[in-house]
Amino acid sequence: MAGIRLSLYFFCLALGFFSPQGVAWSMDSEKANLPETIASWKLAGPPRRIDAGNIFDYMNGGGELYLAYRFDRMLAWEYRDGGGNDITVEVYRMQASDDAFGLLSLDWGGEEVSWAGAAEVHPADPVAPTARALYGAGLLRLWAGDIYARIMAVRETYEARQAILELGAIIAAGRPLPPPPALLGLLPAAADGAWRILPDRTAFFRSHLVLNSFFYLSHENLLALDSSCEAVFATYQRQAGRGHLLLILYPDADAAAQGMRGFLRTYLPEVGKDEHFYKVEDGWLGLKSQGRSLALALACPDRESAQAILGRVEFAEKQRRSP
Amino acid sequence: MKKKSIVVTRRDFIRGTAGAALGAALLGPQWLRAATTAGGRSVVLIVRDEKVMDAEFNVDRRILAAMLERVLLQATGKEDARAAWLSLLKPTDVIGLVPTPLMNPTHEELIDLVRESLVAAGVPAANIVHAQGRSVDLAPLTALICMPGLKAHWLTGIGTVIKNYILYSGAPRNYHHQDSARLGEIWNLPQVKGKTKLVLVDALRPVCDKGPQFDPRYRWPYGGLIAGFDPVAIDAVGLKIIEAKRAELRGEPWPVSPPAVCVEAADKVYRLGNSDLSRIDIKAFGWKENALV
Repeated sequence: MAGIRLSLYFFCLALGFFSPQGVAWSMDSEKANLPETIASWKLAGPPRRIDAGNIFDYMNGGGELYLAYRFDRMLAWEYRDGGGNDITVEVYRMQASDDAFGLLSLDWGGEEVSWAGAAEVHPADPVAPTARALYGAGLLRLWAGDIYARIMAVRETYEARQAILELGAIIAAGRPLPPPPALLGLLPAAADGAWRILPDRTAFFRSHLVLNSFFYLSHENLLALDSSCEAVFATYQRQAGRGHLLLILYPDADAAAQGMRGFLRTYLPEVGKDEHFYKVEDGWLGLKSQGRSLALALACPDRESAQAILGRVEFAEKQRRSP
Repeated sequence: MKKKSIVVTRRDFIRGTAGAALGAALLGPQWLRAATTAGGRSVVLIVRDEKVMDAEFNVDRRILAAMLERVLLQATGKEDARAAWLSLLKPTDVIGLVPTPLMNPTHEELIDLVRESLVAAGVPAANIVHAQGRSVDLAPLTALICMPGLKAHWLTGIGTVIKNYILYSGAPRNYHHQDSARLGEIWNLPQVKGKTKLVLVDALRPVCDKGPQFDPRYRWPYGGLIAGFDPVAIDAVGLKIIEAKRAELRGEPWPVSPPAVCVEAADKVYRLGNSDLSRIDIKAFGWKENALV
């Protein structure tokens, strides 16, 4: 991804570009200031306040996505330019940073945006991109602590892009930069047989609805996922072949056993209890469990591939590494 | 309505047995009998114009009006728009226009043009109402024009025609999860059934991923209207266009996920039309480039 760098110098200049009268908003103890005006855009009024009770009025079925990521509430502002090229600023407060990361992880496409002063970590063998903000076609998506934000213009223009990036910088400024979810630390970057992870296909989530949006298993919640679970989905490639790894951390061992039983009963009704690898319609499927953890290798080209991908998964929490 | 658990899995789709699984789950033993009564062929019209939007996506009303007229004439075989409308409706009908209200909404220009065209055909303006939303009183309406925007939907695969009446259910969240396969049943509610006189999909700027709250990287200028009388066939063609665009963007097959079970169930279970592309005749007019079908 090509990087977009907003230097501190440019950032300060940009702040000078705003009208001095800012609009204070708060989400609990955290505060930030959105400017009344930015370039030719003017704030239309106070933010619309969205929570679980009215999110469907705001975005219909799109609301399920945020509820699936333990959305708490959202503020939405409109900036108007008088010519119809409005900019919408949506700031979502999630229950945890992991959930804000998860929303960003659903699509790693776009240009990476780096805020000046942000500490950057580039692991040698990343299992997911290190981006905290991504821009494309007039939409900026960013993860900043437990905040997930979307800033979008009706039409992408040079001026709109600049304004969007500057608004993103304001929202991200001063917020903590927690690491990605610890569960990513269990993902192997590589597996035996030249399998390598495709980092930009790694996604963190908690809900089967989200899983289905990139790897459909069933409309039923076969694995008994819910907001108390953590899950990560990764794709591995070897030459032209691909396989997938789904890692789930349940709240306890009973929940993990229930998830595995439900999956076996409905997805693999024909197989024996003691098997771990199965040939199904889209390739080989493997299962591995321990305590409250469950790992599934999915759609692998052969048994050895499923074994190789699962073989590198280490469940012991003490062996989690920084992703 | 009797509620049963629907357990359709990825394996059913790969085996090609999803329709049977849906039918068995939703209809039980009646499924086999219903499955033998498959209907005939369906026609879906696609009318496109490269210049219907400018570089900033402003709609050219004159071109859009011509596209609408072409849809009406091709759909009905009549010689002018007035005759076309009057072959579908009576001037005394109370007509509900049902656009997509939020997130990639139906273009206002299209809604206005349909209204104007109906008035020109002799329908009193007072008899043409906006009919999208859960508070709409459907009882006085004698005709509906289904006017959704074409878009992929993160919960239902596609969120276009069959899903367009979801608010008529009074409980849209009931159709967001495993029961999205049941969306077709809304079309068979007494206050809805048989009222849809035309399906007119706004495909000027469709969304091929992450709808309804779209990412503009997945919205593209298709410049089209997709229309006909078979809501399922139109969704099936819309899905084909969306999946073709997704494959083009990613450079490899990129099917919508989750699969659009609501489309297959609308055919196999609720008998609303054809979901099988081999039984759908696509008639395309106008701009040919990047038609994706």
